[in-house]
Amino acid sequence: MGSLATYIARRLLLIIPTLLGVSILIFAISMVFTPEQRAALYVTSPKAASKIYQIIKKYGLDRPAHEQYFTWLSNVLRGNLGYSKSMNIPVIRAFTDLWPTSVEIAIYAAPFIVLVGVKLGKISAIYRDKLPDHIARVLAIVGWSLPTFWSAIILLAIFYGWLGWFPPGRLGPEAQAIVRSSEWVTYTGLYTIDALLNGNLFVFIDAVRHLFLPVLNLVIVGNAGIMRVMRSSMLEELNKEYVLAARSKGVAERDIINKHVTRNALIPVVTMAGVLVAGLMTGLVITETVFELKGLGYWAAHAAEQLDIPSVLAFALFTGVVFVIANLIVDVLYAYIDPRVRLQ
Amino acid sequence: MSAKDWGIAIVLLIIGLLIGYFAAGPGKVTTTTVTQTSVKTVTTTVTAGAPKPTTTAPKTTTTAPAEKVKNPDKLIVATIGEPETLDPAWAYDTASGEVIFNMYETLIFFDREKVDQFVPIVATKVPSFENGLVKDGGKTIIFPIRKGIKFHSGRELTPEDVEYSLERVMVMDRDGGPSWMLLDPLLGVESTRDSDGNIVVKFEDIDKAVEVEGDNVVLHLKKPYPLTTLLQILSQTWSSIVDKECAIKHGAWDGKAETWTKYNNPDNPPLQEADCGSGPFKLGVWEHGKQVVLKRFDDYWRGPANFTEFIIMKVDEWSTRKLMFLKGDVDMAYVPRQHAKEVEGAPGIRVYKNLPTLSNAALFFNFNISATSPYIGSGKLDGNGVPPDFFQDKNLRKAFAYAIDYDTYIKEAWFGEAIRTPGPIPKGLPGYDPNMPMYNYDIEKAKELFQKAWDGKVWDKGFKFSILYNTGNEQRKALAEMIKDKVESLNPKFHIEVKAVEWPDYLKAMVRGELPLFIIGWLADYPDPYNFVFPYMHSSGTFAAWQHYKNPKVDELVEKLITTTDQQKRIEICKELTKIYYEDIPSIIVYQPLGRHYERTWVHGWYYNPIYPGVYAYPLWKG
Amino acid sequence: MSVAKEVKKVPLSERIWFKELKFMAKRVRESPLSLAGLAIIFFYVVLAILAPYLAPPKPGRDPFEIPRYGYVITPSPPSPEHPFGLTQGQYDLFYGCIWGTVTAFRVGLLGVSGSILIGLTVGAIAGYFGGKIDEILMRIVDIVYAIPGLILAMAFVLALGQSLDNVIIALMLVGWATYARLTRAGVLQVKQEDYVEAARAIGSPHRRILLRHILPNSIFPVFVVATLDIGSMVLTASALSFLGIGAPLGYADWGQLIALSRNWLIGTPENPFEYWYTYTYPGIFIFTFVLGWNLLGDAFRDILDPTLRRR
Repeated sequence: MGSLATYIARRLLLIIPTLLGVSILIFAISMVFTPEQRAALYVTSPKAASKIYQIIKKYGLDRPAHEQYFTWLSNVLRGNLGYSKSMNIPVIRAFTDLWPTSVEIAIYAAPFIVLVGVKLGKISAIYRDKLPDHIARVLAIVGWSLPTFWSAIILLAIFYGWLGWFPPGRLGPEAQAIVRSSEWVTYTGLYTIDALLNGNLFVFIDAVRHLFLPVLNLVIVGNAGIMRVMRSSMLEELNKEYVLAARSKGVAERDIINKHVTRNALIPVVTMAGVLVAGLMTGLVITETVFELKGLGYWAAHAAEQLDIPSVLAFALFTGVVFVIANLIVDVLYAYIDPRVRLQ
Repeated sequence: MSAKDWGIAIVLLIIGLLIGYFAAGPGKVTTTTVTQTSVKTVTTTVTAGAPKPTTTAPKTTTTAPAEKVKNPDKLIVATIGEPETLDPAWAYDTASGEVIFNMYETLIFFDREKVDQFVPIVATKVPSFENGLVKDGGKTIIFPIRKGIKFHSGRELTPEDVEYSLERVMVMDRDGGPSWMLLDPLLGVESTRDSDGNIVVKFEDIDKAVEVEGDNVVLHLKKPYPLTTLLQILSQTWSSIVDKECAIKHGAWDGKAETWTKYNNPDNPPLQEADCGSGPFKLGVWEHGKQVVLKRFDDYWRGPANFTEFIIMKVDEWSTRKLMFLKGDVDMAYVPRQHAKEVEGAPGIRVYKNLPTLSNAALFFNFNISATSPYIGSGKLDGNGVPPDFFQDKNLRKAFAYAIDYDTYIKEAWFGEAIRTPGPIPKGLPGYDPNMPMYNYDIEKAKELFQKAWDGKVWDKGFKFSILYNTGNEQRKALAEMIKDKVESLNPKFHIEVKAVEWPDYLKAMVRGELPLFIIGWLADYPDPYNFVFPYMHSSGTFAAWQHYKNPKVDELVEKLITTTDQQKRIEICKELTKIYYEDIPSIIVYQPLGRHYERTWVHGWYYNPIYPGVYAYPLWKG
Repeated sequence: MSVAKEVKKVPLSERIWFKELKFMAKRVRESPLSLAGLAIIFFYVVLAILAPYLAPPKPGRDPFEIPRYGYVITPSPPSPEHPFGLTQGQYDLFYGCIWGTVTAFRVGLLGVSGSILIGLTVGAIAGYFGGKIDEILMRIVDIVYAIPGLILAMAFVLALGQSLDNVIIALMLVGWATYARLTRAGVLQVKQEDYVEAARAIGSPHRRILLRHILPNSIFPVFVVATLDIGSMVLTASALSFLGIGAPLGYADWGQLIALSRNWLIGTPENPFEYWYTYTYPGIFIFTFVLGWNLLGDAFRDILDPTLRRR
């Protein structure tokens, strides 16, 4: 396994140039703005606007671009990601405050996306070009064609506006009161998990109730990719000789599919993890905005809108790391389940 | 997919829906165990805090209260703003102010809805010439400090805390912050630094301006200052009394002379999330972007507040806010004017209307537009642009003033809930006089004046320029569009382009002097006419400076206004300024909005003071 | 020279792209879903062409400016004059939806063709020359990939300034990376083929080899992905508009119309769906438009899948 360790180390080292590139790209974009525009973040009243040039000077917004970049970079290397003006806290704090919201949605959405995608893909392949195939494909395509924000709006209009079942936000006022009380122990920041650890069923149910729509929305719009890969790898597998042989021997079709085909067909699905992570990140920006969930995606969108550059930079770095690591895990896993693939 | 899989899926879905249904069921799971707490009687005689139902609101719509009070021991407000900071010396926005003035206390405070009468809080008396606490013709002001006030830390408040607090505001003096309000009367300067950022103030001056003398704190003013104005400044959040030990612990100025420059104009507020106050509520938690939770301070010297928690939630989506409000999950909500109809008359909601705000907005003429401005076309009076000094012609400015259909505008863009004022001084402040002359819509007169402007050249050649507004501001957009429609209808050679830009772009164009015409509003720092005539008319005031408007007579009058202490004389000066404003038309005041307040009918004790930055929870109760 | 001549003489029916095209047509004919997709796209093409007649713009006004009927904020329900009703600020929904079709085609087609142009150039150069150039270009692709597309597009639009044209440019600047990867992979494959080796042996210039021999034979997957991409470009553009940084207010754009409906999700206590038309109509337009492209693209997808080819 020594080679695996070196492989991982090498891949992790490769993150560095990518991250540098990401930060330079974002920084270069931010330099298109004039100092006055970037100072707008600090100027919210006419009174402050009359002091704008002092503010620009104070925060060094008029210094040459490379100087500003190196200041930022040297601060980052010292572990200081800067101050998020859009959140009024240091960037690091913004992360620690906001990640549980995003992660909680993601960890519930991801398994369901995979589950639904795999299921649909399987049906579609087994009944290729027959009615179930068409239905499954239409379902996936429909989900894929839905604008995330629109499906979110429709879900809210029905389940909140009309039925009042699933409200937006993370917790209702009563559950919030419990979570803020002194008896509550925060283990992870994820309310569903903390609620179980605290043994509080009420908070758990409330948290699930608030998670239902955002997760459902992400599953609806997110499963198409998985479904497609599953379908084609399943089709490939079904055409293999061992399947034909088994069929000719009279092995029940069900056994063939469940015991062998599905398992082998799942391997390529693993490669979709990277795409899934990227899709979730984008999906979160919209979903969090519509469902009033103040997480990383919401923060990123608002920071970009307000030209809060340290925040946008930090978010881009974060997604870069997540994305690269997700792909690394995929590659390692892939080599692990499919011995034919060699890591190099 | 086998039947089994379908079965599992359906069962899961049903379970999900059931959870939703039951958890949402009215009062099933959600019933709280807390029963309604009785309204506590307030132990002191200070009237500002005494809860009694308000009868003073101009107009009230009430619907019969019938339902059970939700969250009876909490006051929950849903709004859209997010505080910038909880540091009183840094905060200059209303969202921060709302939290701070519930957490901290000032020497004196406004007497309920009045903006020019005060009640003592940390001080035991409101200084006046009559009670001998104002001396030297208004240059020495004495505040006897109350004993027995406890900070949230448990420490007792001392005169040293008061001295430290007021000096810290001057020491901090961040760019674009509120410190100038104390620096101006106490040191006679607008800032501790010159425009290049060099410190120009000696610590001695700061130190001497606020002194402890026994149980008193004495303010030494640099120049005579209108007493009411000074007391107004001292009644607001920037003058909050902070716990010195607590502040130093959180990294604020250590109170020493040697170090003060280090704490001048910091990058970030030191008391950003600290609670060094003595007010009726202490900080529970500030979840950035979500909510601020304040908790009752049980040792509050006037007796504990009626709520165990006061929660200010940030709910951006109107539809969500509306539903929470309609369902009674929040007690007060910010309702955008255009959505008023959706909650007005809903059961359990009370509306206060026509509350005059201390803010207004105007259309400003730029007397010297930047020659490189992209918004003036060719930069010449050739029909394809305007010259930089275009608006120096008074006939032209007058023509614009007559071309605006003010009444229709207010009716359509403000649903009639705004008023016009003759000058920069809004209704509700001394010096406001509705009988002064103002321009009214008269398209024929406008035409005549356009023909006269620039000796007829404007009419012959025509012009072309842009009016910008920042996106999302529907009222400004409507005004810009109206000006375009009216002016263009007079002459086919007149062209005005209405453009929407983001706030950063708008700001850039404005501070660079690129906007030929701009629309912007002013919100009072303190309720005094000086705070309006200065930015609008004085050549170094915020707006006038951008416009390059300068009238030496005006400058003299404005300066006289702030050094005159006699109220009657001050009103005379205001009238004169308003008259000059009419003659000079440096800008046109278009509207002063009338506010509204919405609350659940189970909330009692609310009253309107236009200078409050938000909800002052102490006098309120539910039931 | 004789070698080069021979290369050119591949009969039409034997050329790869011709075979691909035939296969594509076959897939479309065989699949009812893709026929449905084609029908939807055809419908929208007709709608876009007929836009000036279905919803005549006011003379002298930019046709993409949605006409307003008053300044009241509260939406007005459908009426004979305004079949889809008026959304927040009295913008005519019918007009906006119809002209939004033109906008969608502009966004989709321009965005995708711009992306292809950049991606093709970068991918071909990287794949053909290999080595250092390849390494550097592919690292840049990685960088673009590592930032969520929506956030990167947002940053570009903000930097360029808010307008629909800049949204399209931002989409190109984000979308090219996929095509660069695809093209590179194709070029690497074709590069080894005999006829390319032959052309190189006779000393044909790089540009000629790339344009005449390599690209025509490796470009195919690019076009297949492009049909799928049109839908997602339109989705991204509408998401930007929804977040308030896309088309300017009042511009005929579906995403913006949905953004205008955001405050009207929840009706009045008596009628929870009182403002249903504000979000329903523009949503259905985006959804079906994207659906059309995706249905069509789904049939093409199999072409990309080597294991399913020409069976």
